[in-house]
Amino acid sequence: MSVAIRSFDAIGRRSAGFFDQIGYGAVLFAESIYWLLVGWRRRQPVRIRAIFNEMQQVGVAALPIATLLSGTIGLMLAIQSLYSLGIFGAEAYAYIGIALSVVREFSPLIMAILVAGRSGSAIAARLATMTINQEVDALQVMGINPVRYLVSPVVVALAIMLPCLAMWANLVSEFTAGIYVSAALNSSLGAFVNDSLTVLKVGDVYHGIGKAGLFGVLIALVAVVNGSSVSGGAEGVGRVTTWSVVQSICMIVVTDMIFAYLTTR
Amino acid sequence: MESAAEFNHHIQGLRAESHAARPTEQELLDRPKVVEVDHLDFFFGPRQVLFDINLHVRAGEIMVIMGGSGSGKTTLLRHLVGLMPPQPGKVKLLDRDLGGLKPGELLDLKRRIGVAFQFGALFSSMTVAENVKLPLRELTDLEEKTMDIMANLKLEVVNLSGFGELMPSALSGGMVKRASIARAIVMDPKLLFLDEPSSGLDPVVSSALDDLILKLREAMDISVVVVTHDVESAFKIADRITILDQGHILATERVEAIRNSTNERVQNLLNRRSVEEEVDATEYLRRLTGGE
Repeated sequence: MSVAIRSFDAIGRRSAGFFDQIGYGAVLFAESIYWLLVGWRRRQPVRIRAIFNEMQQVGVAALPIATLLSGTIGLMLAIQSLYSLGIFGAEAYAYIGIALSVVREFSPLIMAILVAGRSGSAIAARLATMTINQEVDALQVMGINPVRYLVSPVVVALAIMLPCLAMWANLVSEFTAGIYVSAALNSSLGAFVNDSLTVLKVGDVYHGIGKAGLFGVLIALVAVVNGSSVSGGAEGVGRVTTWSVVQSICMIVVTDMIFAYLTTR
Repeated sequence: MESAAEFNHHIQGLRAESHAARPTEQELLDRPKVVEVDHLDFFFGPRQVLFDINLHVRAGEIMVIMGGSGSGKTTLLRHLVGLMPPQPGKVKLLDRDLGGLKPGELLDLKRRIGVAFQFGALFSSMTVAENVKLPLRELTDLEEKTMDIMANLKLEVVNLSGFGELMPSALSGGMVKRASIARAIVMDPKLLFLDEPSSGLDPVVSSALDDLILKLREAMDISVVVVTHDVESAFKIADRITILDQGHILATERVEAIRNSTNERVQNLLNRRSVEEEVDATEYLRRLTGGE
């Protein structure tokens, strides 16, 4: 086979594989919603306890690191805003940029990247290990639908907890930024908060939370698609885990750009 | 629900050693078929793995499917338990055609079969007891206490009482297999499928597992399909043996007939003799050069 034909063959295979994965992800999402809505009617409900377990692992257990990251982001934004606005002597308006960028952009984006690295990888590794150990086959032969049992709780938990983490990140980032700005400008934290609230609209908060929910579903589906398509034993588990994080972050950033374009213009 | 007397009898039966003789050929013929495979083929990409498989198992029978590595026995088992849809061909379990079932009907059918996988497939995040209770928890409305009793009962059947609170990682290979069988029988199935139950076990543990399989058939009146390459185990437990070789059924016979078979390939498998394949030189070169 010539090099050209091999190259076309490789490109074709990868393209087909990519669309195959997207299609599989869409089917998984539809099935997850289906089981969520009608599972109880078919005597296979999505267990609330399973959803709460996932929410605990994905959200509550991530609070310390989420607090640390969002606090740091708030400080970093405050430092950069004061520096850049200082060029024009407009430091007093730092709250505008900080409030809008935190709520609309940084909180959902940073929390999504954190969750993709922390929970997306764990979900992909767990599913991959279960697939290799035939645990998913075991579920199927027992008559327990694997999507209902394994995927639906993860999708729901991430769709709920990522907006919650983003809201938490909003509070922490604004707080740390406020402390820095008020100290630097010799004003009060209350004045910073008050100014921020005057510039923020409810739509800005919805924008950030909506995006976080979308990122949550994306992270769940990417993790599940990668985890369930594992092959090659322990090495395969490592490979799909890495791929899951890389793909999740790429999809988050691209989706963020599209979301911003569609909702801001 | 069983009466107290029936329940007691059930337990005593499970605890007792198995001394029952194999059912005769005529006894088996009088029983209904619980597994029927008709003209099953399976292709993995361009490669054919199963060739025109025809097979049946009757109620209360222990059928052992034997073959060397790569003979297609695990692929056949995956078809039998509904993990692979039949391409051309038909698979019927308990008189239901797997190919024509709606999802709800398939679910009902799966509740009536049990499967124990080669490496146990126990959920590593759950204790042994939670593993055994999983089908009850997910597929029934039983109370927790009832589930506990049923799980403990099945663990006792497989001689694992007292090990319920351990995690699967704390069990030996033989214990994992027995826990897997306990989970497979917790819903009192009519059909039990076992994939390589004796692989990786020492002869003593393997023999004990064979006794357990015989005991289960006797006490629970279930049909068992065992996939194995362990000749000794097959001769001990089987009513009939099917020999698979490179995707073809070489023979389906009663144990004595298999033992005395004049088929060279069957004897090679039974006596663990390797076979030198005759390879066409041109074909061999084509494989080496990737078809160019």
